Parts: sequence; structure tokens; C-alpha cells
Amino acid sequence: MIYDEHFGSPQRRRVLTAAVLVIFGVLLLRLYQLQLLYHGELDKKSEENSVRALIREPIRGYMFDRNGELVVDVGPAYAITLIPFEFDKPGGGLLSSLLKMDSLTLEERIARGRIYSPFLPSRIKRDVDIRTLATIEEYLPILRGISYEIESKRVYPARAFATHLLGYRREISDAQLAQFSDYYRQGDLVGIAGLEARYEPYLRGEKGYEFVSVNARGQIIGSFEDGKRDVPAREGCDLLLNVDIGLQAFAESLMTRNAYTGAIVALDPSDGGILALVSKPDFDPSILSGVTPAELWSQLQSDTAKPLFNRATLTRYPPGSTFKMVLAAAALQEGIIDEQYRIRCTGAYRFGDRTFKDLHVHGSVNIIEAIQKSCNVFFYQLILKVGFEKWTECGRRFGFGRITGIDTGEETAGLIPSTAYYDSRYGKGKWTQGNLLSLAIGQGEVGVSPLQMARYAMALANGGTLHQPQAVRFIRNKRTNKLEEVSHDSSSVGIFPEVIALLREGMRRVVQEPGGTGGLARIPGTISAGKTGTAENPHGEDHAWYVGFAPFDNPKIAIAVMLENSGFGGSKAAPLAGLVMEKYLYGQLRRALPRPAPTKPDALKAITQAVR
Amino acid sequence: MTNYLKEYFDYKAFLLCLALVAVGLLSVYSATFDVGAAGAFEKQVVWAGVGLLSMLIAALFPIRALQRIAFPTYIVTLGILLVVLVVGKTISGSKSWFGVGGLGGQPSEFAKVATILALAAFLARTTTSLSNVKHLLIAIGIVVAPMILILAQPDLGTTVVFFAMLLPVLYWAGASNFILAAIIAAVLSAAAALFGTLTFLITLVIAGALLYLTRQNRFAAAVAFALTLAIGLSVQAVYERLPAYQQKRISSFLNPELDPKGAGYNVLQSKVAIGSGGFFGKGYLQGTQTQLNFIPEQWTDFIFCVPGEEFGFLGASIVLTLFAGLLLHGIKVAYLSKNRFASAAAIGVTGIFAIHMLINIGMSMGLLPVIGIPLPFVSYGGSALIANMVMVGLLMNFYANRKEH
Repeated sequence: MIYDEHFGSPQRRRVLTAAVLVIFGVLLLRLYQLQLLYHGELDKKSEENSVRALIREPIRGYMFDRNGELVVDVGPAYAITLIPFEFDKPGGGLLSSLLKMDSLTLEERIARGRIYSPFLPSRIKRDVDIRTLATIEEYLPILRGISYEIESKRVYPARAFATHLLGYRREISDAQLAQFSDYYRQGDLVGIAGLEARYEPYLRGEKGYEFVSVNARGQIIGSFEDGKRDVPAREGCDLLLNVDIGLQAFAESLMTRNAYTGAIVALDPSDGGILALVSKPDFDPSILSGVTPAELWSQLQSDTAKPLFNRATLTRYPPGSTFKMVLAAAALQEGIIDEQYRIRCTGAYRFGDRTFKDLHVHGSVNIIEAIQKSCNVFFYQLILKVGFEKWTECGRRFGFGRITGIDTGEETAGLIPSTAYYDSRYGKGKWTQGNLLSLAIGQGEVGVSPLQMARYAMALANGGTLHQPQAVRFIRNKRTNKLEEVSHDSSSVGIFPEVIALLREGMRRVVQEPGGTGGLARIPGTISAGKTGTAENPHGEDHAWYVGFAPFDNPKIAIAVMLENSGFGGSKAAPLAGLVMEKYLYGQLRRALPRPAPTKPDALKAITQAVR
Repeated sequence: MTNYLKEYFDYKAFLLCLALVAVGLLSVYSATFDVGAAGAFEKQVVWAGVGLLSMLIAALFPIRALQRIAFPTYIVTLGILLVVLVVGKTISGSKSWFGVGGLGGQPSEFAKVATILALAAFLARTTTSLSNVKHLLIAIGIVVAPMILILAQPDLGTTVVFFAMLLPVLYWAGASNFILAAIIAAVLSAAAALFGTLTFLITLVIAGALLYLTRQNRFAAAVAFALTLAIGLSVQAVYERLPAYQQKRISSFLNPELDPKGAGYNVLQSKVAIGSGGFFGKGYLQGTQTQLNFIPEQWTDFIFCVPGEEFGFLGASIVLTLFAGLLLHGIKVAYLSKNRFASAAAIGVTGIFAIHMLINIGMSMGLLPVIGIPLPFVSYGGSALIANMVMVGLLMNFYANRKEH
């Protein structure tokens, strides 16, 4: 130490000693103040009025459709609560018979509650009916530690199910609870699918706290300090949807009426707003509105019809001929052909030692006619001119092979094959140009979701913009009364407008001109455009596809329809698309509904009805 | 024999420490015996045993060797803190890494000891001079490095403890009032920067006055004031650039009363519990608040409620006196030690105990904001108990060797 005259000097010792004495003195004074001066008051509080915080559940946010119609509502549900510390074991028998719960389950729930806190009420049975509640209330004087809470559950006033879109809630899992223990507690319902899951932080609101006084035995004797310290629960935010719930209901009814399995996705071409999103089979979301019984859940999970599976966003089927505009765009964009270019279709195309067939002999066709008539031979030859890379690139431009960013939850990115993919799948040099011919007509490994197809239809409708599909337009904060707009990404597909115009003309002819494959999609009084597709299915009947939009000049709706194992796109999917678009554009149908397809028994309906 | 004992055995530190550990065991038992946390008492007893053993080892460790391994140990400790930080981040969501008594909490307890020893070793070097700016910065750096790693965990309480340890040690080692004022001014300005413009301006005025009153030359005072201003402004700038969720995390650190279900309610409960104890207390295991109520951190951060309620003013003031006795004894050991390393380290240990006691008990009685740090020897928690007992062992060691240079 060079500079050490002060190191540990007596003066510095005196200062530190003084500091310790000051700390000691201050704490002692405060102790004196609390324990002797304020003792009477605080002791009274403690003897008669110890304080306990009770959780007050917030009201979950509502959902309204684009016309302001209430889609998801909230209603009361009654939960029986129990304070483990106060509950007498002998009361268990009575309680389990009142709640119609076996005593083992009851004991297990009490044990779980004790882990959360022995002194706070835990919910031991949720969503009990009014009669049970009334009986419990009668017995309250002899059931110590038992009370009830009013919770909210979902109510669905709309005619539509919209299960996969709106989503549903379940009791929080232990893993989630461990992660979010700062807000949730055992037994809380959290969104696990669809909008309920994605917008959980907005919808849930904030729990409130009510401070109550309890006596020395822990029984509640009144509010604490007249509720001055209470924190009211904050209502959750409302979601204002892009969805037209009337359209959704109509689209669902078309699917149900024909007993179709599949999906319909309708988008607003101007901003990507989701007008309807149907996945069938589905189920009535109100069966999951409160607490879901475990047996119902496992039944839903094991159902062979897979009602929990969102076919609109998660299936990955080949798109069939609906994909032909991708190849056409690639060829025109790169200047490989122009609209004058013609091919003579003889009804089949020989490549190597294989013959690739077409449905008809189309004669001499140019690109527009090839789309109109869905001429396979034209596209077989075209892909050999365009090449694999250009095709892959153009598919990616239209958003295939990547997710859409939809706000309803899970979706697949699908698959758009590339040379790299084939090299890794079959080995370098082990695949041939023959593989390409399947891709040309949307068969083979290419996998797309109905949602991606709707996005593709949207880009063709609006001249080449991919908007991120969003079900929610605004989030309404009821406390600040502010509307927060949900932003969405938009990007251009980067295809020349003249090229898109040619594709659109082809698609118009598909619907409007004789010889087009999509005549059944025609809407009386409105010109529409589209493309049919039939995805070959090695495991059974083909999947029917249709993509389209209307009106042709100023599109208000873009749509994709996918029907599993139902046959031709032109005969099965196209009429549905036409009906849905007509309903949206005119608000109603102005013609009689076509007769339903022959029905298959609806296994799921039987299940959900049996459970309810 | 008794004289020999008095000469080499620091019975005062030993007995004061044992008494506080006993208070802790009684309190932990009372707070947990019928609650879900069964087994907590038994664990605490085991830890106290381990602590006793560690304390004796620390008391018998040769001081020279201690001084020599101080730096290497310190570097290793920094490494461990870094690992905890990195690994803890990749396994985010698994809270056990951050929770009380979790692995995240453990290294920082022992980092306190390592940091004290490293700082003391640095200050004891014959070439070190605190009037040399470079040396001063190194001394500060030794404390700030682990402090930043712990702050990032994030553990605000332990960070505050580190800073509070630095000041008395520097003061003891001969730092001028001006240096202390400059450090305090910088920290005040950094903290005040987060509380809005008015608070910041008032703090700047106070800092300016402090620097002016302790100044040795005007130039240094001006530089120190400029630094204070710069630190405050840069903290503000960084804060504003943070994403909203991080800002929220910081603001709830600084103002925990805002948390609706948390701190305000706990403090209220804690005040009622202590106040209802009266002069004689309600008797052991008879405290209605302790036994009936819901104070979540009752056996960790709010443990002082238990002696407060069950043993009353009589018992609680004895606990305070035990602490004051230990602190005064620590200062005395530092004063008696001829070895500068031992002397500085003794002040460091005492400073740590003092700040823990002040913040914890002050918080339980509603005097200070709620910063979650345990009450030494009393709160439930193994790593803190063992680290604290090791520090008492060091005091005993310094006492026994006080006449050695």
C-alpha cells in the first residue's frame, strides 16, 4: 500500500461502527413502532381480520364477425372450490356424493390444490349445473372450506361451427403451468387451437384480486378495508374478425349436406382477410366450451375421421391441374413461349418409353386454351421447355413450399420439389425428366394445403400480391376503447402484369366459355374465373380441387375448395365454389341448391351427439 | 487453557452465528411444519451441519494460501457464473434454473465470498493505491464483473448486495470521501434515470452537491459530474431502446408495488404479522399469521415475520441485537487485523451481512422496497446458509491470526 494512512484508521472504524448503530437503531425503532405503538390495531387485524386474496376471473374477450355479428360469446359457469386447510376429511363422503365424483378423484384434486396453496380455494369441480350448485349451497354450513366461483365459459350463438378457425380451450397442462405459473393456476382454461390459442394473451384479460378478511379460523368474514385494495379483473380484448360467419355457416352446410371430407378457404383478395375457413369433419365447439371431460377428448383424438385435424391448413395433397398456372406463368414470364405458341394435342404424349395420357383430344391449343381445357399434353411439353428450376422458382413465387403466416395456428409449408429435393430423395442422376411430366400437371410429390391454394387464387385475382391470410382484423381493448389493427405482410409474386392477365383470361374461359372444365362454378349474373383440378390418389378415389375468384374485373372473393376422395374437380369442387362465391357476393342464393351427393354415414356426428 | 482459547478462538463470532442459525431453524420449522413444504426443516438442518463443517475449514485455512488462491478462485467463479447465464438462457422456461434455491441462485452466493477475497487481495498488494485512478477502476471492476453477470440472470437483489459491499471496503482501504461520493453519484444517477426526468434532475442536483462538498480539486469534481450525467443519459438511452417486455421486467424490479398480487400484499401481511406480535409475541408455533396465512415467501424472504410474530418485540429485538453484535465484531476483527488482506476481507464480509440484514428486515417491516434477498442464517436456503457460515469462518480465521502481518 502506497497510500495507506487511512487504511483501517480509528476514525474510519468509528464511522463504520456508527453506521451499524444507525441501522440497528432505525430497525429497532421501526420494530418498536409496529409492535408496541401500532400493536393494538395490527393485532386486531390479525386476530379477527387476517387478509386473504381471492382471485376474480376476468371475462374473456368476445369475437365478432366482419358484419358485427357476435360469433363467440361468454356465459356463466359455476365451479365448486375447496380450501384444503379448512376442509374436514369426514366431509369428503358427503361432498363426493353431492358432486357425483368418486372419492379417489376428489382426494387427488384436494391434494393438487394443497400443492398450490393449502389456504386458498382451489377448483375441484368445474362447470357444475345449477341443480348441483343449489344442493351444495344448502349444505354449505356443514361443509367447511367449500365455496363456489362464477367462471365464464364459451357460448356460440352463430349457426356455424368454425371449430378449426375459432379454436377451443382446455385445462392448462402441467408443462404450460410450469412455464407460465406467474399468471395461470391449476385448472385454468387456455386456448390450445385456432384463434383461442393464438390470441390467448389478448382474449384472457387480467385476473383481479379481491381482498377479504378472514377470522382466526380462516373463515371469510367480509371485505378487507372496504375493498379499497381490491384489484378488479380486467376484461379481455374482443377480436373483430374478417370472417363472414354467414358465409362460413353456408360453406359448412354445403360440406355437411354432401357429407364431404375436405376444406374450403375463402379470402378477401384485397387484403388477405379470411372470409371463411372450413375443415370437415369438425365438431360443435360448444362441447369444449367449459371443462372438457377426458373421455370426450380422447374420443376426439382417436376418431378415425380426425375431426381435430385442420384439413384447411395441414393437409398436403397434390393440387392437380389447378397448378397449371404456375407452369404457364414460368413459361410466359421467362419469354419461353408467347400466347401465339401452339401445340397439337393428340390425346396422349409419348416420352421415352412411356405414354402420358390426356382426357381428350384437344387439337391445336395455345396457352389460354390449354388452361381453359386443362390440356395435359400442352403442359407435358411445356415443362420440358421451361425446365425444372424455373418451375420450382415460379411455384415458390406463388408462395408454395412456405407457410402463409395465417393467425389461426398450425399450418404446413407443403412441398415444392426442386432438383435438390429429387437428388436427396432419389439420388443424383437417378431421376429422369419423366418425373417432371407429373409435376407439370400438379401430380407427384408436390404438396399444397387448401390455404396455400386460396392464397394462390388471391394472387391471381388481385394481379399478383400475396397477402398474409388473417382471421382477425382488429383487436378491441375495452379498457382504453382502442381498436388495434392487426397488421399483415404483403409481398408481390413478381410476375409481369401482362402474364397474369393471360392466366386470368385462361381462368375466365375455364368457367365462362364452352369447352372450359369449370362451367359448374358459374355464378348467375357475375363473371368469374377459376381452375379445376383432380389430384390422383393411389390410395383411393381422387381428390377434387377448385381455385377461383369473382367478380372477374374487380375480385371480392378468392376461393380454394378441396374435397377428399370425391372425384373430379370440375364436377364436385367447382359447383361448391360457385355457390359459396354467389352467397358472398349477393348475400343469398338466387337459385335452388343442387341435389346433395349420395351420403355416407357421419360417424362423428353420432359420437358428439352421444356425448352431449 | 482459557486464555489460550480466548487468544485464538473467536467464540464471539462463533456463538453469535450459532444463535442466528438456531433462530433460523426455529423459524423455518414454524413456517413450514404443517404446510405443503414438508421436509424443508430437515433439509435446513442438514445444510446447517454442512455449513458448520465449512465454517471450521474456513477458520483453519492458512491466510497466506487463501490470499494466493483468491484470484484464481475468482476467475473460476466468473466462469461458472457465465456458464449459468448461457446455459440458463438456452433452457429458458425451465424456471428451476432461476428460482430460489435453484442452480441459478447457488453460484452467486459463493461468488460473494470469492469476490470479497479477490478485492481484498488486490487492495492488500503493496503497490495498490486508491488515489491511482487505474487501481481504483480495477478495484471497482473486480466487483462489477460478477455483478453484471448476476444482474443478467436476472437477480437484482444480489446485484445490490455486491455494490453495497464495495463501498465500505473501499472506504476502509483508504478511499477518499470524494471517490466514494463519485461512485455513489454514478449509481444514483443510473438508477434515477429510470424513474423519469424530474427524479433524474433532483438526483443530479444531489449528486452535484455531494461532489462539490467532497471535492479535492475542481477539475476532478467536474469530470466526475460529467461522468455521472453521461451514465444517467446512456442508461436512459439503452432503456428506451429495450423491447417493451424487458422494460416491464425492469420496471417491476424497480417498483414491485405495481405488481397487483405480489409485493404490496406481502408487505401488508408481513407488517400485520410483526405488529400483532406485540411485546412478548404469541408464542412459538402460535402465530396466527404465520400458521394461517398466505405469505408465499414466508420461509425465505419474509422469514423475519416468524420471530416477529411469535416472539414479539422481545424476541425480534434480540435477533436485531445478535446481528448488530456480529457486525460490530466484524469491524473489530478488521481493525485488529495487522494483515491488510484479512482486514479488508473482514470489512467485506461485514458489509455483506449488514446490507442483507438491512434490506431484508427493512422490507419485512415496510421500510424499504421489496428486493428479494434472504436474511443471513435465518432464511430457508442451503447455498446462502453455507456461504454465510463460511464467511463467519473467515472472520474467526482473521481473528485468530490478527497479530500476523
